[in-house]
Amino acid sequence: MSAPAPAATRPSGTAVELRGVWKRYRQRQRSERLGDVLRSLLRPRVISLEALRGVDLRVARGEILAYAGPNGAGKSTTIKLLCGLLAADQGEVRVLGLDPVRQRVACVGRIAAVFGQRTELWWDHPVAASFAWKRVVWNVPGDRYERSLAFVRELLELDLIWQTLARELSLGQRMRADLGLALVHDPELLLLDEPTLGLDVLAKQRMLGAIRDLNAERGVTVMITSHDMPDLEQLRARVVMLHRGDIAFDGSFDELRSTIGDRRRLFLETADTRPPELEGASLIGSEGSRHEYLFDATASPIPGLLAQAAAQTTLVDVETHRAPIDDVVAEVYQRLRGLPAPAQAADLNSQSCR
Amino acid sequence: MGVERLLRLWAMRATMNASQLLRSRGELLAWSVTSVIGNVGSITGTFLIAQRFDGIGRWSRSEILFMLGFAVLVNALLNALAGFNVGMVSRRIGRGQMDHTLLQPQPLWLSLMTEGFAPLEELGAITIGAGLIAIAARGAGVHASPAWVALLVLQVLSSLLILIAYQYAWGSVAFWTPRAAEEINTRTSSMTWSVANLPLDGVYGWLRVGLLTAIPTGFVAWLPCRALLGIEPAYPAALILTPAAAAVFAAIAILVFRKGLDHYVRTGSSRYSTFGHRR
Repeated sequence: MSAPAPAATRPSGTAVELRGVWKRYRQRQRSERLGDVLRSLLRPRVISLEALRGVDLRVARGEILAYAGPNGAGKSTTIKLLCGLLAADQGEVRVLGLDPVRQRVACVGRIAAVFGQRTELWWDHPVAASFAWKRVVWNVPGDRYERSLAFVRELLELDLIWQTLARELSLGQRMRADLGLALVHDPELLLLDEPTLGLDVLAKQRMLGAIRDLNAERGVTVMITSHDMPDLEQLRARVVMLHRGDIAFDGSFDELRSTIGDRRRLFLETADTRPPELEGASLIGSEGSRHEYLFDATASPIPGLLAQAAAQTTLVDVETHRAPIDDVVAEVYQRLRGLPAPAQAADLNSQSCR
Repeated sequence: MGVERLLRLWAMRATMNASQLLRSRGELLAWSVTSVIGNVGSITGTFLIAQRFDGIGRWSRSEILFMLGFAVLVNALLNALAGFNVGMVSRRIGRGQMDHTLLQPQPLWLSLMTEGFAPLEELGAITIGAGLIAIAARGAGVHASPAWVALLVLQVLSSLLILIAYQYAWGSVAFWTPRAAEEINTRTSSMTWSVANLPLDGVYGWLRVGLLTAIPTGFVAWLPCRALLGIEPAYPAALILTPAAAAVFAAIAILVFRKGLDHYVRTGSSRYSTFGHRR
């Protein structure tokens, strides 16, 4: 990058801290029947939804945290609490040591938030105008602005769209411009709520690459929510999984995978079409002389399986793959909901999540 | 956080406003023509009545023209200060777009006071309003001393504040009932302007009170102009009526808005319009 990175060393301390945070929403309930409509005028039926249930979370400065969970798990609520857009019902929220609601102005000056379905760009103006606007509103000093601008323009390849009206950008271009705009005041904490939503593969790769570079070069703390677990895994981040407002898992992606064993797939190409019988591996299917197995590499090490196969037939080719992270997460959620695990994985041993 | 920052933010928004208007000749022409037609059209009816009957009630033709100029100016300033739905705040609140404002590192009032600033769009209307006031004041025999001009400015600003405060007081209902508040806010705006270009001397007393409180249309132009022109029954205190009312309306608006904002931060917004966050 052409611009010098201001944070060569990792900052220390806590960027985000949630202590016993509860957040409930009230939701009106009624059917479309006239009687029910009239009754609800007199006695509205209101239910309370617990979006967060006593969440404790600490994010260190300079860390990337992937904040995952199914729809309605409480991810966006957490991001809104950290931005000061919502207040917790109970518990304490601290962002860079500040209360985001009571010290809103000081807090939002040091953080940045990007919401995948929202844009901060001025709709009827070129991208450049939104950056000029941000410089004034955020009161960014001239030299810092120029340095940051050069950095984000190169990092996110904004030059080609610099003069384009925001409303004429593609979704991928818009997201890059929004991320650049979020970064131009050198935030210490970057909150990203579904930033890859709707992006194509290439746009996603660029976005995730930019986030990694930003964290590595500037030490920016990143907290990112997404449904897309493979995306999050690419960030090599710590992952926190929410389930029904509570933290269901907190650790690395490797640890997440190990909660259901070291699940892998083995592909064997043999000299004939008969699949070898392997103890410790389940045959998923065969296509001609190519056979696919599912196994737990911890319980059934690969050399042992290959030895078994080689004893039964002539091996032409061998491939192993780790199970897609989506499969791992799906199984974790199935377990949390108390449902049987997906059929393919049902016969494998597993550990339990918190 | 002083005047300098306010002016800097306004200057930046004025630059953006200019760049938007000057994007193409067509855009510039459309804005200019629409602005002139709209503003002239809004006062034509009252002016023709005054022309036909050589005034309305106690008001001479020039005095009516003065009041119309005053109304045009107040309306133009309102649009220039509170564009992009800053004036129609129920839309911002009810469409979840207050979030964007809350993410800016400056007091909310400063964001709201500057983000809707679009002076060039209203330049034509401001010129028409100021021009009508100047011509009509001469026709009405007003001695435009510096003190009188200062009073005129005070009355214009007070009328403006009343309109903004009234819109915010009703618009803040969107913190609780977003969908209904958008309708209410649209109605309160149109009701305020529906008879703003007419002198209200002839209406029943109870109705006049309503038109100065529940719907403060009398403060848009009628009452401040009556005081400035010394129309009978003239009394010195009339000059402070509009500024005093502005203070009361502003206090009510601040109170309701703050309560609503507390509610918003507790409950959040379940609605969001993706059509550009300032629409």
